[in-house]
Amino acid sequence: MSADAVSLPGLAWHENGQSSLSGSLLRLERAVDRIFLSWAGTWSAEEYRFPTFIAARDLARLDYFHSFPHLVTFPIVLDPDDENLRRFTTGEPLADDGSVRLAATSPIRDVLTPAACYHFYAHFCGQAFAAPQYLTTRNTCFRREAYYAPLRRQWGFSMREIVCIGSAAEVEAFLETTRERVADFFGRIGLPIAWAHATDPFFNPTRNPKYVAQRLEPVKTEMVFGDDLAIGSVNFHRSYMGEAFSMRRGDEEAYSGCVAFGLERWLYAITSHFGPEPGAWPDLGVSDP
Amino acid sequence: MNTEGSFKKELRDWIVVRNQKIAPEDFDDDTPLIQERIITSLQVLDLVLFLEELTGSAVDVEQLKPGAFRSVNVICASFGPGGQRGG
Repeated sequence: MSADAVSLPGLAWHENGQSSLSGSLLRLERAVDRIFLSWAGTWSAEEYRFPTFIAARDLARLDYFHSFPHLVTFPIVLDPDDENLRRFTTGEPLADDGSVRLAATSPIRDVLTPAACYHFYAHFCGQAFAAPQYLTTRNTCFRREAYYAPLRRQWGFSMREIVCIGSAAEVEAFLETTRERVADFFGRIGLPIAWAHATDPFFNPTRNPKYVAQRLEPVKTEMVFGDDLAIGSVNFHRSYMGEAFSMRRGDEEAYSGCVAFGLERWLYAITSHFGPEPGAWPDLGVSDP
Repeated sequence: MNTEGSFKKELRDWIVVRNQKIAPEDFDDDTPLIQERIITSLQVLDLVLFLEELTGSAVDVEQLKPGAFRSVNVICASFGPGGQRGG
């Protein structure tokens, strides 16, 4: 059974690649997030709430701007110089096509969060851990795309992540156990999901060594609904974050991994497979708050 | 033309020159190169270019299979004299 996402009760679609939720669809979104939190709870994961922006300097440690320039979204402000602001206000700030006629802008030092877990590595930069860290956070993430589709591909979307920073063995055990838990859940509610190796969406991938390395040694496994919709992923960073942010676990560089869920895509998968009526949705096994 | 032995030696020499923390005796021909960080993820594209230079033919990275650079022996089996190419 499939549903046209645009006509889903409780969904208002915005042509700028974002959606508003209300009613039963918003309640489903909250229930889905409670499932994620229950999985985080099995690791006694500490929950964090991070801001919308992340420092460009932090993303540069990940070589983000070379790897994903096509995805990045910057917050931009006008140069506060009085003359510059006067110039902006005395013209017509908005063009007929809806674009803003900017005056001079201030230097950009921040990025709208592209992945929820990046904040953890910046937050724990330089730290040495005596025990594995289990963490969870949720953020609105922003990725510029060539096109947008309701719930499936959005400029702004919600991402919940469960993260482990620890030794290689600790991170691998975390990823495997969490993956089994998620797979069991899909089986229990009857949502058809295929697990598939994937690579990150690098710019100019064949000239990017990280893309080639991901092809050779897969570190990303996606939960794929339908033909090609990844509603989540299991990611083994090896020591990449540990090195980039000088994190240590015992005497070694810290390893890390994350399990990431795209909430809007979960809504798409559930309403597409079970139908738009809440009565047809499966019991997700989480109680109302 | 490279013999299998000289191909392997050139490959091992390239790895040691690239990773100055590694001595030739630190890894054998079956050591997992990327997993053990003998080759870092940032060096794999350089390794592709080196293999192209060594073999005189282009490597299509979109055709590389998981594990194609797993060890010196695996690389030699795929890209060395008589290899299958592309892993």
